[in-house]
Amino acid sequence: MPQIELAGKIYEVDEDGFLQELDKWNEEFAQAYAKTEDIEGPLTEEHWKIINYLRDYFKQFGIAPMVRKVCKDNGVDMKKLYELFPTGPAKGGCKLAGLSKPTGCV
Amino acid sequence: MAKTDIGPPDYKTMLPPVISRNYGKWLYHEILKPGVLMHIAESGEALYTVRAGSPRLISTDHIREICDLAEKYCDGYLRFTSRHNIEFLLDDKNKVDPLIAELTSLNYPVGGTGHAISNIVHTQGWVHCHTPATDASGPVKALMDEIYDYFVTMKLPNHVRIALACCLNMCGAVHCSDIAILGIHRTVPKTDNTRVPNVCEIPSTVASCPTGAIRGDMKAKTVTVNDEKCMYCGNCYTVCPAMPIADPDNDGISIWVGGKVSNARSAPKFSKLAIPFLPNNPPRWPEVVEAVKNIIEVYASHARKHERVGEWIERVGWERFFTLTGIPFTDKHIDDYDMATETFRTSTQFKWG
Ligand code: SF4
Ligand code: SF4
Repeated sequence: MPQIELAGKIYEVDEDGFLQELDKWNEEFAQAYAKTEDIEGPLTEEHWKIINYLRDYFKQFGIAPMVRKVCKDNGVDMKKLYELFPTGPAKGGCKLAGLSKPTGCV
Repeated sequence: MAKTDIGPPDYKTMLPPVISRNYGKWLYHEILKPGVLMHIAESGEALYTVRAGSPRLISTDHIREICDLAEKYCDGYLRFTSRHNIEFLLDDKNKVDPLIAELTSLNYPVGGTGHAISNIVHTQGWVHCHTPATDASGPVKALMDEIYDYFVTMKLPNHVRIALACCLNMCGAVHCSDIAILGIHRTVPKTDNTRVPNVCEIPSTVASCPTGAIRGDMKAKTVTVNDEKCMYCGNCYTVCPAMPIADPDNDGISIWVGGKVSNARSAPKFSKLAIPFLPNNPPRWPEVVEAVKNIIEVYASHARKHERVGEWIERVGWERFFTLTGIPFTDKHIDDYDMATETFRTSTQFKWG
């Protein structure tokens, strides 16, 4: 399995860079990973709001929220989500939040 | 940043001038011979189309060769059909035969028109997908080799659409084709419980199962499969990578018949199960090729003119279909899913085989 070094720590990831040991997630991981998902500079409050929301939802329900749910619960629209996570809420948002990789016919 | 959301280029910029001039003003068409169509417009102008087979999966070198041919004979215009055939579009009748001669010398089959067997709509198989139970390009080549004659002639009662899908996601047209080749599994997925918690959403995995065979355990972060309820659809593997289902010994192919999409004469139909299982036997899949050939031949010798495979079967009755083709009817043919009762016979009308 591939490994990636971020902020001095080694993480097991899959070929798409999704974390393979979800309990290893931490804030430095998300920050250090941001630039590979086209996010420049430090993560903003708006980024953290979505990342924390995704993590809480996953913890509570065992699944990533549907994108409509993300928008509704956070008062953002799709356009805003893509501004925050240019590679998209699934590939970008879920990856930084340390959720399992989206599956199905993606 | 690159420009986004620009959509495909406007097809009107790529039409041959004869089509642009007569767009929406065609009077009638004729099939001049296998693979050659003539469309006549109100203006009196004619468009000649030469249709050639394609393996769908092609290299850029091959595309360039097609472009060279289009450059030489059709002022650089060509199109691909919805069954991945290539159509060269000409306004000069005198170029038709030289084009066909050159296509033939380069081993392009010219045909696929009228009451023929045109190209096989197919999927990714072992070339690119992660959920297949069989290959796509391999069986398609093996079969088209054996039924080549039906591509270049027009001697069937009606056209016979053949499609292949390598798993029951059925990407493409297997559920609505005259003859369909479908990859199936016959073993229960093997759950890797050490990976499930990190790569799967347990509730989605549970919900992916059409028969409710999967139970989730959120605390232990695992799932368990009830083997008795599983019918090996593989949907849980699509959702959860820690439940691989592929099994080289037990995966194989099922054959389905009688589907159609057109509304001509009868309403569109779904294809129905004819043969529950044939082995994967690469590289030539002889059992599959033989089974499909048999169905085509029995259909060709029994159906009335213009009858599609499904129309023929419904006229003679499914019991006659099984008798005529010699295909054994088994318990696997009897629907046992949601709407099963609708498929049972609620009548005394039947034939003794
Ligand atoms: S039919 Fe199944 S295996 Fe084949 S390409 Fe589609 S999803 Fe993949
Ligand atoms: S293969 Fe299909 S039927 Fe079997 S457990 Fe998975 S989803 Fe359910």
